Amino acid sequence: MLAVEDLVTRYGAVTALGGVSLEAPEGQVTAVLGANGAGKTTLLRTISGLVRPNEGRVVLDGKDLSRTPPEEMTALGIAHVPEGRGVIAELTVAENLRLGGLHRRAGADPVDLDRVFGLFPVLEERRNATAHVLSGGERQMLVIGRALMAAPRILLLDEPSLGLAPRVVAQILALLRSLVETEGLTVLLVEQNAASALSIADRGVVLNLGSVVASDQAEKLAADEKLRHAYLGF
Amino acid sequence: MQQFWTTLLGGLTLGAVYAAFALALCLIWRSTRVVNFAQAPMAMVTTYVGLEVIDSTGSYWLGFVVALAAGLVLGAVVERGLVRFVEGKSDLNVVILTLGLFVVLHSLAAIVFGQDYKSFPAPFSLQGLHVGGHNLAITGFGVFTLIAVAVVFVLLVALFRFTDLGLKMRASAFSPEVARLLGVRVGKMLTLGWALAAVVGSLAGLLVAGGSLVFPQFMDSVVVYGFVAAVLGGLDSPAGSVVGGLVLGLALSFVSGYAASDLVPITALGILVLVLLVRPGGLFSHVAERRV
Repeated sequence: MLAVEDLVTRYGAVTALGGVSLEAPEGQVTAVLGANGAGKTTLLRTISGLVRPNEGRVVLDGKDLSRTPPEEMTALGIAHVPEGRGVIAELTVAENLRLGGLHRRAGADPVDLDRVFGLFPVLEERRNATAHVLSGGERQMLVIGRALMAAPRILLLDEPSLGLAPRVVAQILALLRSLVETEGLTVLLVEQNAASALSIADRGVVLNLGSVVASDQAEKLAADEKLRHAYLGF
Repeated sequence: MQQFWTTLLGGLTLGAVYAAFALALCLIWRSTRVVNFAQAPMAMVTTYVGLEVIDSTGSYWLGFVVALAAGLVLGAVVERGLVRFVEGKSDLNVVILTLGLFVVLHSLAAIVFGQDYKSFPAPFSLQGLHVGGHNLAITGFGVFTLIAVAVVFVLLVALFRFTDLGLKMRASAFSPEVARLLGVRVGKMLTLGWALAAVVGSLAGLLVAGGSLVFPQFMDSVVVYGFVAAVLGGLDSPAGSVVGGLVLGLALSFVSGYAASDLVPITALGILVLVLLVRPGGLFSHVAERRV
């Protein structure tokens, strides 16, 4: 299980995370919601080691990860999926995927490219195209597929719905949900699009200006009208 | 006719040397987005190291291998010890750094190895080859130059296109943060990029020096043309570097053979200006828009 404890992350004088604690229980989808500037992306970047916390810890199965470099995360089974523009545009689709499998989780068998192509058939049609010709939805599929090549146990997803058509968002989120159910994947999903995220999440955490303002089961958060109006905008 | 072949083969050989130099520039550009102005003096230093080995052991090939190995080490040391500290800062910082290194290495070489001209042996004949009673205008060493550059080019393309290591190096160059998230040790890849580039640069140094004289400024004549070749081909493309080198070598050779050798520098300048006007990205650039 992945947990963060009293995480404080500052950029100079700006406090992006002001003492955030949350858990991502195994085999569940935990949605982290909040508006722009709530600290959602910083939370993921701190977990994966791209940013160092000023205080607090990131804990994976009892092991403190606060000083673990980001390059070692995939070997530990944590895959950070950056926003859709995190494809390497100069490499082909197949090269992006191959790269994802090079440093997979320690002890895991290599993941076949065909498995990703089975999940995202459109990527197979484009396997030899450079990634910069892909549409936004295809890029998002590619970054998720690339993360799956590392055989992760935990997926950290940064705004998978950003800039995508509602139908594509629904398709991608449904696929995530099915991966969680069939493979026991743990997902920490950071989203601005609260309605979509809560529809597939087990639990939800609402961040506002770097602090947790609510944490509950997804249905309860979605049903809480005041909270919805105040922080989630739907 | 005889003059035509002489000019053609001479141009190819010369072009191969420019190509090797341009390849080294291209390697560093691809892996770190830095133009290494210290490429030439780095090659000069490793050539001196090779010469010392040749002088003390009498074996050209031992010196050749040691010079290449020295390039590997020097490239890695320069990246780790100097360039690392300005990476991610303003582009100008690293330009100033490599220019500074240019001056420092020149002076150091003059102090350590002396200002004298020293002759550097060639492993093959410097006489024109004889085939079926005809005198060819290419020397044994010229053939070696062409083959060596071709082999290096093929090896580099194979490295980048077909190996996991090459894939990681490209990913580190294009998108360091994403590469880190995928488990790639980006710092190591950058060091390796500099080390490999310095090996290719060392090769260029050995090819320029072979059968000729070595002194602290001996690579300077190649610097300008090597840069023109790299820009001509597009800094990003290894194939472009090789073609750029060969085209430039041929062009300069024909100008010097049929017009006047005084026109060579101005021709190089003309080609450079023309390329920058018509195709600023180089002949082999493919426009890949990058959204940031």
